[in-house]
Amino acid sequence: MRPAQDNQGSFLGRISIRRNQFVDVNNEQEQEDLELFQRHIADRFTELLSHPPQQPPSDEANTVSPVATTEQIMSVTWLRKLMDVFLCCEAEFKAILLMGRDPTQISKPPFDRLVPEMLDRSIKALDICTAVVNGIDSVRHYQRLAEIAVAALEQRPLGDGNVRRARRALANLVVALSLEDKENTSGGGGGGGGGNKTTERSWSFGRRSGGSSAASKGGATIGQLKSSSWAVGRNWSAAKQIHAMTANLNPPRGNEAAGLPQPMFIMSTVMVFVMWVLTAAVPCQERSGLANHLPVPPKHLSWAQSLIGIHEKIGDEWKKKEKKGSAGLMEEMTRMEKLGHSLIEFADAFHYPAEKDASESAAAQVAEMAEICRRMEEELVPLQQQIREVFHRIVRSRAEILEVLEQAGKLSAPVV
Amino acid sequence: MAEFELKLPVQKNHVFEACHHVVKALRASDNNLDANLRKLLSDLESHLSTFGMVDTEVEDTGFSKIKDRFEEAEKTILGWEQNQSMILDAGLSEADQFFQALYEVQTVLVGFKALPIKANQKEKDVYNQATVALDIAMLRLEKELCDVLYQHKQHVNLEYLAVSSRGKDIAYNDESFVSLDDEVVVEASSHEDDDEEILGFQNADLVDPLVVPHVKAIANAMFACDYGQAFCRAFNNVRREDLEEYMFFTLEMERFSFVDILQMEWENLNGKMRKWTKVLKIITRIYLPSEKQLCEEILGEFDSVSTSCFVEISKESILSLLNFGETVAMRPSQPEMLERFLSMYEVTSEILLDVDNLFPDETGSFLRMAFHELSKKLADRTIATFLKFKDAIASNESTRAFPGGGIHHLTRYVMNYLKLLPEYTDALNSLLENLEVEDSITEITGQDTLPSTFSPMAKHLRSIVSTLESSLDRKAQLYADESLKFIFLMNNFHYMVQKVKGSELRHLFGDEWIRKHIARYQRNVTNYERSTWSSVLSLIKDSNDSVATLRERCRLFGLAFDDVYKNQTRWSVPDPELRDDLHISTSVKVVQSYRGFLGRNEGRIGEKHIRYTCEDIENLLLDLFECLPSPRSLRSSRRR
Repeated sequence: MRPAQDNQGSFLGRISIRRNQFVDVNNEQEQEDLELFQRHIADRFTELLSHPPQQPPSDEANTVSPVATTEQIMSVTWLRKLMDVFLCCEAEFKAILLMGRDPTQISKPPFDRLVPEMLDRSIKALDICTAVVNGIDSVRHYQRLAEIAVAALEQRPLGDGNVRRARRALANLVVALSLEDKENTSGGGGGGGGGNKTTERSWSFGRRSGGSSAASKGGATIGQLKSSSWAVGRNWSAAKQIHAMTANLNPPRGNEAAGLPQPMFIMSTVMVFVMWVLTAAVPCQERSGLANHLPVPPKHLSWAQSLIGIHEKIGDEWKKKEKKGSAGLMEEMTRMEKLGHSLIEFADAFHYPAEKDASESAAAQVAEMAEICRRMEEELVPLQQQIREVFHRIVRSRAEILEVLEQAGKLSAPVV
Repeated sequence: MAEFELKLPVQKNHVFEACHHVVKALRASDNNLDANLRKLLSDLESHLSTFGMVDTEVEDTGFSKIKDRFEEAEKTILGWEQNQSMILDAGLSEADQFFQALYEVQTVLVGFKALPIKANQKEKDVYNQATVALDIAMLRLEKELCDVLYQHKQHVNLEYLAVSSRGKDIAYNDESFVSLDDEVVVEASSHEDDDEEILGFQNADLVDPLVVPHVKAIANAMFACDYGQAFCRAFNNVRREDLEEYMFFTLEMERFSFVDILQMEWENLNGKMRKWTKVLKIITRIYLPSEKQLCEEILGEFDSVSTSCFVEISKESILSLLNFGETVAMRPSQPEMLERFLSMYEVTSEILLDVDNLFPDETGSFLRMAFHELSKKLADRTIATFLKFKDAIASNESTRAFPGGGIHHLTRYVMNYLKLLPEYTDALNSLLENLEVEDSITEITGQDTLPSTFSPMAKHLRSIVSTLESSLDRKAQLYADESLKFIFLMNNFHYMVQKVKGSELRHLFGDEWIRKHIARYQRNVTNYERSTWSSVLSLIKDSNDSVATLRERCRLFGLAFDDVYKNQTRWSVPDPELRDDLHISTSVKVVQSYRGFLGRNEGRIGEKHIRYTCEDIENLLLDLFECLPSPRSLRSSRRR
């Protein structure tokens, strides 16, 4: 037995010597991988930025752009593309981080700091995913309201009652679309109250606080109920979460810039960015100051150009919307709101029997609204599924990285 | 209560009127009508006229009748628009009247839509009024729906469902494996008093059954008038809020972010995991089937509507439950989490069938799948934790000998932990089925052997105890005093046997295991006696010594006995029975020998040279293993 053991020992020894000798070659390979990764990131985001045939900025009047391309930035189709991009980047990143790598490497400085920071960020992203999936449910509620309005306005002959019904749904719709907080979406029926935004809620709260004794049995107050309808815990804030994700997110300097810290920085940036976009796109719990929370990566980084471009576009839009309140920047929602206002005007001016001109222009808008609803019907659920997939991917990757770290821990543990 | 149906028994007048319009419309539409068709039309016209309905005069009276009736209906509806109280409370006939009015309005609308061409202004106006009246009626019904659902909701209010995590969290406070070495572990309070099983799974009435027909009538009316979506929205909102209220207030479930759960202290999390397990059971086994039944009762006639409403109502709450499970499964596994994971895994695997029944089709498939995935994840996590538990035992090392030779806290922890596991026998057996393990006893089959003794779980539990035994053997080596080593091993093995014998574990460990382990601690008793007393007793062996030697031997015996006394009164045998046994067997040996020695030699030695009487020895021996804080001062009175 003895000689065999000796042999083995020296054999292993030789391997480790060889590995050290080959370090330079490995480095070259790694450099290539890293460059490729950066190029892929750049390509993917460039495609996201350039894909929509640029639309002329629509003026403030009620002209609703007749042809809305499906792949406009922030459209539901575009968001789905963004999810795909994220999944691709993530898969590629993980390959770089873990494949063929000596586990102990990522447990040594500076990775003993960078990896936990990255894992921490990914957990925070999970909360965002949950909140956004929930937010998309809210969008589905808007869609239902819009569908009710569409169905009512498609009635022929169009009577005052149909218009009345449509107007009620539209009023609820535009209020919901311009409210910052998610609370407006979960309560209230499709038909309660008129155009005033508190009607629906106060009516249902009236039921709660007054009237029935059953209501007070559970001791549930309005505030409690409100917070219980949030997907994530109480006091949770999407904006704060995004902000927390950006903590310690700094471009690597010096020696680190050439190695593994670089793709780690890139991937983290992409993750925070994607989460930020989702948060801005659909209703989400507590988002004040969202636009300020994303640090823009240095402009000289080639991979970041398009990402910065998209960020600027969305950021500007957000700042504009934040002033007057908005449930989200999803392109379909924006258009829905515009159409909603315009159809409310039509409804307010409506006299039975309908005038031909007015009803024709309204019919076009109704058709567009119907088209938006159709697209939402087709794409919102798949988008939700993709976000869940992102969620599961993040969970899986985290588990894999932890596993490698554990292995590294065993390997580097002092042998007694 | 009026049943509102889509297939309205269209009134005669209406039919005639409609036919009349059709004929007129056909005539007007084309001047070059085919001869046959023209013939047909005039025949029809003459037929109609035989009923006396076709002349314009009658048409007018027909319309004005309809108009009158409509106006009557409109009045009823508008009356209720102002009246905020529930139609339900006004009584059957009032409700009937309302639905009747709605039916009249609907008749006007359907009639008009069937023949809009060439309607005159009066007719058009009535139509328009009817659309408004309909919308008012629908809005009123929506409010009625919410009020009725809200005021007549009933909660699953069964006492045995009471969820409380009181006291339970405390049981584990000092059981953290990490700090085991320094703390005395309070025996784990058992799991049994924890949750009374949810007896039976009969559905509860979430809404008073008496008002269900009324709600159903509202549904039928709103669906018939094309307001089905509005109905669903209102219905779903109230029911969803109700579920949320039940789950988050009555059952006190909380929502957490991932960050919260991953950073939560173990003791705190432990309570939340318990609560989750229980809430999940109640929600999936009682609440949701009841909710589904309600949806079906009310919306069963409208195909997929009842399914989609049910999914819509339950989705959010279910996802929040799933999220908690997923997040917990992401935590690094700690051995002390085993039982919680087991119970979480157990409940998810138990409810899979219920979940499949709740969401059998496409609409809820994502929820169904999510439950299956979660169950799988928890299974993996549980196995990992189980293995980690074993690893932790294996790697539990001490640097100092355990003082007093009593029951090591690792032994206590492990055995008390194992005692909790038979409750999860099915779950553990299925989880461990494919996991190889080395068993400490050979598998035998026969009539005397329970099948449970060689179940996967039993093998793994024995293997865990073997790991514990090895660890104890290592710990025993730390004793400088050979005798104390045996006491330590005896105590710990005895403890293990007691725990196994006194619980469900006995069926798993089996008689052979128990026998072997009893033999093992008895061997330790023998070993102890030999190592402590052989040398002491050899001093008073029979011999033909001189008086001086006898006196010297008697003196030496006294000293040796003092020494043993001083040491071994500080040792600990916590089990009173075991201690008694040990006292008796020691006493029999020592006192007998001493009595014989004195009997033979007392006279020669002389009383003043005899330090202890047999009675003294007997009494003093009772002080051994009492874990006295300091050696009791020995009576020196006899030493004169």
